Amino acid sequence: MKRIRDFINRADIRRFRFWLQLFFFVLFIYGGYFAINLGNSIPVFSCGYDRQVGGMCYFLPLQHQLARPLDVLFSAASISVLIGFITFLLWFVVFNKAWCGYACPLGTMQDWLTGLRKKMGIRYSTYTQPQFDKLKKIKYIMLALVILAPMGVGMGILGGEWRTAFCEICPGRMITPLFVGDVSQWSLDFSTKTAMILTTLGLIFTGLFVIGSFVKKRFFCFFCPMSAMHYIFSDAALLKLKKDGDKCTKCGDCYNVCDMQIKDIADDVKSTNILRDDCILCMKCVAACPEDDALHVDILNMKLFSSTKGGFAKRMQMDKLEKKDD
Amino acid sequence: MTEHKIETSRERQNRHKAMEAASVLEKIKHNFKEPPRAMSYFYDLYERVNCKHESLHVDKAKVGTMCIQVPSEIIYALDAVPLRLCNGFYTDDEIGSDLLPSKSCPLVKATVGQFASNNFSDKPDVIISPTTCDQKAKSGAIIEGMGFSVYDMEFPRTKESHESREYWRRSVRKFTKDLSIDLNKKLTKKSLKESIKKVGYAQHLYHKLNILRKNTASPILGKDMFLVTNAFFFDKIDNWIDAMENLVQECEQRVETQVNAASKMSPRIVYTGSPPIFPNLKIPLLIEQSDAIIVADETCSSNRMFNDMISVDEWFVNDMIDSIADRYLKGCTCPIFTKNSDRKRRIIDLVRDYKADGVIYQAFAGCQVYEMEQRSVLEAMQKAQIPILYLESDYSPSQSGQLTTRIEAFVESLKNRKRRG
Repeated sequence: MKRIRDFINRADIRRFRFWLQLFFFVLFIYGGYFAINLGNSIPVFSCGYDRQVGGMCYFLPLQHQLARPLDVLFSAASISVLIGFITFLLWFVVFNKAWCGYACPLGTMQDWLTGLRKKMGIRYSTYTQPQFDKLKKIKYIMLALVILAPMGVGMGILGGEWRTAFCEICPGRMITPLFVGDVSQWSLDFSTKTAMILTTLGLIFTGLFVIGSFVKKRFFCFFCPMSAMHYIFSDAALLKLKKDGDKCTKCGDCYNVCDMQIKDIADDVKSTNILRDDCILCMKCVAACPEDDALHVDILNMKLFSSTKGGFAKRMQMDKLEKKDD
Repeated sequence: MTEHKIETSRERQNRHKAMEAASVLEKIKHNFKEPPRAMSYFYDLYERVNCKHESLHVDKAKVGTMCIQVPSEIIYALDAVPLRLCNGFYTDDEIGSDLLPSKSCPLVKATVGQFASNNFSDKPDVIISPTTCDQKAKSGAIIEGMGFSVYDMEFPRTKESHESREYWRRSVRKFTKDLSIDLNKKLTKKSLKESIKKVGYAQHLYHKLNILRKNTASPILGKDMFLVTNAFFFDKIDNWIDAMENLVQECEQRVETQVNAASKMSPRIVYTGSPPIFPNLKIPLLIEQSDAIIVADETCSSNRMFNDMISVDEWFVNDMIDSIADRYLKGCTCPIFTKNSDRKRRIIDLVRDYKADGVIYQAFAGCQVYEMEQRSVLEAMQKAQIPILYLESDYSPSQSGQLTTRIEAFVESLKNRKRRG
């Protein structure tokens, strides 16, 4: 048992993550080719506009469901809405936000863009702390759009083109279908003024997505409403990111590697549950922590992956020295 | 007819320093249970450098550092050698006393004293003075006044804020650039990555040795650990690494065969406060001569120098420099910072982790920041029900009688507690 644990704690998490991300990417984007369908309550941006999707992003059905007239929405006829939501929760509670760090196709694409930038030898950019504090609120506005816009349609306040307003502006709608050779989403909808504005915004956000995640790691995740939605339920999740503040020296190694620039991971020594709303549970922080057991990922209160001195040295290639003859 | 030679002041200083060093080394070598064989490298090293005044770095540019905050990774990457100038000699302390206020810290006095006498076995070409405590910051200017080339490296006195992080990162970037120009050497991605890994490996070895002290039978005494870590101030890093590899290996064997460097009832001590620097190992020696054992420490001449490690996400020069900067600021528990909650947490964690029976907190008379933190640390320890002894000392060899009595009484009380269970 101890040996298995040692093996996991010394693992090269980057490689593990790369392959797992690739697996989920293929599963979600090309699942249709293999007749895989995991339903349409998946808690990641595996876009329903992709015809071969192997499991659909929960937001597309959710928006359609919420756009029902109010009396239908709150009647027994909407039991399917509830079932969809419960399915979403069931998927979510197992892996918590690791969905973002390991399974989300849109997240994976951003990591690939990061990889491309690294290959080109270009340095990443970061936000300053005040910028960060302001920007991180946008995802809640987006979540409000996901929920309120279709309800507005249901109530008859907004026109039908608001039904899937978020999808119209989501970069996933335009980019994901490209992977199966579908370019039909790359057009502006001139049918109504609103549709035109929304699809134009979609085009702009898609451009921002590509440029943004090239210069800034996980650029889009700051604004992702799914991430906000996750956070609301993350306390109930089985997989947890934990911190033992007594063991933390606040050295900031975790913060340094954090794609999401979460400062609490290094500075908060009081919380035991250290998962924050921006977190994508990629576990890079755990891998970069040089203190034994200061950070760990638990499943059902069992330590799954812990920070260790030995694991840190191994991953940083500091456990041996290539000796040169000089 | 025999020729009479009058001893120059430099020769006299060297004779005094050699005597100081030799007498401490004698004690370290012979007054205790047999040390690990691999320690002989370190004993020899101190003898060569401090008794025979041998130069170690003839062919390299030497960068003197006045505090641990100067990143050695950058200095090594520029093909120079960092030499930590924090000094433990009473001879130099006395020379420095004439130049600084009487209530100054002996470490600062000794450091300034060494410059005043301009007596180095390895003379630094440039001195980097981070603006840490008042006394060190001001003595940089005094040293410059003596004709040395001193570079002030700006260091923030708070570390929690985003601004201080940015400020220090900028300061380190500027330092890198200026030193690179000064040494006429370009910093490359490869050289920086190599030096980060090399220093990281040295730290890794330190940790490997250090965690062995968690065993009920610790394989190595604190006085030897201080010698090992102090040697990192000035030794050739490759030699240090080789010697450390041997020492780790031997101590691992000692743990297997359950060799105890102390005795079964020896109380286990966490040492904190002003840094013991060779040959001023007065307090650690008194503690271990009183049948206690130092199992961990929280000082800048030892644990704090090695503990926090650098993590880099993307190995570009700028990212590496930023990571380096963070490592020297964020985890630092130096009392010069406004708040000290990190230091208190650290001491308590060490006590728990190393199963210590008590803490000894030593402050140099004149080290204001350590003196000022004393009360709050004592309170925190009381709250955590950890016995603690606070001592004030300096470099003078005369005062040990009173200190011995206090330390022995403390150790005795810890033993009683242990017996009662």
